[in-house]
Amino acid sequence: MFMQVRSTLLVLAVLASCNNTDDATPATPVNNNFDVSSATLLRSGMLMGSGSYTVTGTASVYESNGSRVLLLDPFASSNGPDLKVYLSTTDNAASFVNLGDLKSTTGKQVYSIPSTVDITQMKFVLIWCQQFSVRFGKAETS
Amino acid sequence: MRANVTVILSILCIGAAMAQEENTTNYGSLTGAYGEREGSASVEFFHNWKLGKSRKFLIGIGGRFTSYFGSDHYFSSAPASLASDDTKSDSLLLPSSNIFALNAAINLAYRITDKFDVGFDIDAIGLSFGGKQDGFYLNGNMGQATMASPTSFNVLLIGNNDRGTLNSEFYIRYFFKENLGIKVAYQYLFTEYTTDTAVQQVPEANDRFRHKAQMVSLGITKVF
Repeated sequence: MFMQVRSTLLVLAVLASCNNTDDATPATPVNNNFDVSSATLLRSGMLMGSGSYTVTGTASVYESNGSRVLLLDPFASSNGPDLKVYLSTTDNAASFVNLGDLKSTTGKQVYSIPSTVDITQMKFVLIWCQQFSVRFGKAETS
Repeated sequence: MRANVTVILSILCIGAAMAQEENTTNYGSLTGAYGEREGSASVEFFHNWKLGKSRKFLIGIGGRFTSYFGSDHYFSSAPASLASDDTKSDSLLLPSSNIFALNAAINLAYRITDKFDVGFDIDAIGLSFGGKQDGFYLNGNMGQATMASPTSFNVLLIGNNDRGTLNSEFYIRYFFKENLGIKVAYQYLFTEYTTDTAVQQVPEANDRFRHKAQMVSLGITKVF
């Protein structure tokens, strides 16, 4: 009984926290400068939301001038705290690299990919609420 | 470690020797603590010796059972060689944590008036148990899923050399009856998990991660 009550309270706390707008991701649209015509498309996939969260758009990995970037364009996401952009081996972040804070819940945005990352292994793009370990959305790139 | 245990035992022996008139009192308390996305419940019992001419100083030994539960907390590298340097410390993020700890503990108190006392108690040595939890090991911008269990053995040492789950409180207590009091405390609770494998490898292999919970607690004390 005690464990059930405790578990319920924790779940409610997490759900409430992930919908907390006090420390939410910026919602002002961004428009990062990136010219796809001068870059090589390596992988891409469609973004989709998880559970009650909405994430839409396209995630693409490009190589440009010897560097690789992740482009989210178009992009829109539900808001939440501590949202990160992960490249992961699985859709549940079994092994991942954090590309940084989600810059905005909407708009074209570019993230640098470290040279050490094997993008054939890290084929999932995740929009991830790190503090509360909740996936907002994902894309499997190919 | 041996030196610390010796010091603690010496203090207790001195206390016992000074209590030649067997002027002792026993306290039992139930305490609940609350913090940000975490809490604890504890049951403790202390056998105290009254010291000094006025017998206002109390020193006691006893035991405490603590149940800690929390969600979405970062645990940092626990070994002293890593914990003392932020550049060497990695993190374990646990969506859910629940540890039960049974420890021998020490109590020090001063009876301000017949109605009030202030004091400090701290766990010294004991055991922890609890279920295995899913979590994420974070090293800079890299991470991986992992599993962790409460560190089994608890021992109070100096600085960051502590190990396991150890509870401590600074408290003030008001006796509203001769043998009943309420206690308000600042609770500082170390909790520690050990990962299934040594997920941290740099600068040294490590599988122990600690969270320091700072909470406000409220308890009721019965004098026996």
